[in-house]
Amino acid sequence: MTQEELTTLEVTKSVDARGTSCPGPLLAAKKAMGEINSGDVLEVLSADEGTKKDIPKWATKKKHEYLGTVEESGFFKIFVKKG
Amino acid sequence: METNKKMCMALFSGSIDRLTAAGVVISGAAADDMDVDVYVLLQAARAFKKEVGDNSDKLAMSESSDLKDEFVKSLKELNVNTWLEFFTTAKELSNVKIHICGLAGKIWGGSKIEDFVDIADDIVGIGEYITAAEEADVHLFI
Repeated sequence: MTQEELTTLEVTKSVDARGTSCPGPLLAAKKAMGEINSGDVLEVLSADEGTKKDIPKWATKKKHEYLGTVEESGFFKIFVKKG
Repeated sequence: METNKKMCMALFSGSIDRLTAAGVVISGAAADDMDVDVYVLLQAARAFKKEVGDNSDKLAMSESSDLKDEFVKSLKELNVNTWLEFFTTAKELSNVKIHICGLAGKIWGGSKIEDFVDIADDIVGIGEYITAAEEADVHLFI
């Protein structure tokens, strides 16, 4: 997805994991995934650099669809569609 | 439904940094829906005693003991879970079982499961660990 598409994406659930370090954001993503339905979009806010690689890899392995990452000032948003 | 991958961990160390590392690894495995069997051996069994557990004052850092205070302080500042919280969260996410080695328990004055932190599941002998290690997809010794 393009950056523009990502910023206008309809998000089902958003979790703010900016206060945590690895593996906090991954655990937050895992928990949140359990609370949404297939096809729903999850947004994870993180400031932990390792998360940028961690969540996409985890999402793909778990048969979800990694949609992309948007950089904000001092943090970023990762978008995943539940498989 | 495909069966979950299995991780077997022999947790020997009672050192606070290694316990923390083990907690992070188990959390990752739980996020990945792995079934995890943790076998708590010698020094680690002391850390799992009820009166020790989360109390960092009662746990040593076996390598670089002079860095323990910096380590504990830094984890707090980074809002990182304690080692025990990692284990507890992992249990909520996936099928994680904590087995205490019977001999190790007795060495530190714990012969019943009630002597250990609430997340400990049972007290076992070494045979169970060997069987779990044989069957596991991933096997770690910490």
